[in-house]
Amino acid sequence: MTDLATLSTDGPRATLTLNRPDQRNALSIEMLAAAHGCMDELESKSSPPTVLVLTGAGKSFCAGMDLSQVIIDDASQADIPRELLTSLAKLTHRLRLLPSVTLAEVNGAAIGGGCGLACVCDLAVTHADSVMGFPEVDLALCPAVVAPWLVRKIGAGAARRVLLCGGTITGAEAHSTGIVDKAVPTRDDLSGEVDALVRSLCAGGPLALRATKQLLNTIDGSVDADALLRGADLSASVLVSDDAQARLRSRRR
Amino acid sequence: MITTEQDGGVTTIWLDRPDRRNALTPGMLTEIVSAAREASDRGDAVILAGRGNAFCAGFDLSLCQASPDGAAMRLLLSALSDACLALRTIDRPVVVAAHGAAIAGGCALLGGADTVVADRRAVLGYPVARLGVSPAVSVPFLRQSVTDGRARASTLLPDTFTGEDACRMGLVHVLVDSADDVYGEAVHQARLLAGKPTHAFAATKRWLNSIEGVERRGDAGSGLEASLALTGGEEERVRISALDIGRTSTSRKDRTHD
Repeated sequence: MTDLATLSTDGPRATLTLNRPDQRNALSIEMLAAAHGCMDELESKSSPPTVLVLTGAGKSFCAGMDLSQVIIDDASQADIPRELLTSLAKLTHRLRLLPSVTLAEVNGAAIGGGCGLACVCDLAVTHADSVMGFPEVDLALCPAVVAPWLVRKIGAGAARRVLLCGGTITGAEAHSTGIVDKAVPTRDDLSGEVDALVRSLCAGGPLALRATKQLLNTIDGSVDADALLRGADLSASVLVSDDAQARLRSRRR
Repeated sequence: MITTEQDGGVTTIWLDRPDRRNALTPGMLTEIVSAAREASDRGDAVILAGRGNAFCAGFDLSLCQASPDGAAMRLLLSALSDACLALRTIDRPVVVAAHGAAIAGGCALLGGADTVVADRRAVLGYPVARLGVSPAVSVPFLRQSVTDGRARASTLLPDTFTGEDACRMGLVHVLVDSADDVYGEAVHQARLLAGKPTHAFAATKRWLNSIEGVERRGDAGSGLEASLALTGGEEERVRISALDIGRTSTSRKDRTHD
């Protein structure tokens, strides 16, 4: 396993850190593979941690898909977008089904797929000035993998507006939209807030928390992985279109 | 009674029957569907708006009074369900400019929009159970806009609410202070959405419809069936025939009954 994603454990709390700070923790195939490795380790534990905190190393939480990997310069790269998006879809599904309560500590920018990772967590907290959102349509992309998680987080009507309007919002706005459950005033307040939330969560019975999470997943259809994989295919097919590729290339220049 | 206007990539479909507060006939609803599809095929964003003091007061109940066997009501309900479904499923953006009032069938049309603009004091709601009519036809679309709990409360309570309330519950997305400002804001919102890359916008809208179940005709159909089941029944017939429609349409300050 590479150190592109790391796992640490402290009593009932585990922390999964996306660790590619020089690239704002952008989702590359390699970083996703490392995160899947962390999930393997978590899922193999005989007694899972009560809480899993998901966060990013450095200033960003996760800047979204690594766009440098999905520009198709020759035919041998044609399947990379689908591979990357399928890996992301599977990672979100594993996080959702993990018995631990998941808490996104959105320490900085959480964009596109990165914002989707925050949404799939059971709870999410950020600071007022972080940058969040789903600018996919602005880049001629379709946020199909993250859409089901946003719909479950904030409801279908609000999700429709957020995804079709694109753009980014502040952490404070993400809080009023319901994308995060709490926004502390400054970045310095964040780790204290996360510690307090973890303490509150750990006051609950682990079995009761696990059963409740499982019930919620069943009720809201989270267990269905097929829709996510179809979403990955759809998102990849839009990503390889001429329109999207042209926009991505113009951004690279 | 439906007119359209094209301006720079945006087609406005006007409900154009201001003397009757844009009360809907089956023909108007059918025209909305064809106008919206044509606009979308041209690549235009769509605004649905109403002329006069109110967006739409609901069905033209004078048609129902003249049709005690319920045939007119059945036509209206089916056409309404088709209109909401058509607005939801066209590839281009749909903005509803709900100024003044959007009642019953008029409020149901909001369920077809990607973005709804209204004024703070607009009167909205589904008070049709007072008429012995079930608002079930609106529920499949309302569920896509607000939570199930809110959909339940706002259809079972036969009363109206304000634009401000509607914004809080998620049925309205952009709130303006005055009814006069609603259309201008709707144009702004339509241009904003129309400026997004076409292919990605359409793919995203279709995917949302797919995961929300909107595109399945059966979901819309189940609400329609539930409303149709009451049509032509005694409760509805007695209550609708008791309405004084002339009075409602002339005194505009009155809360509408249709």
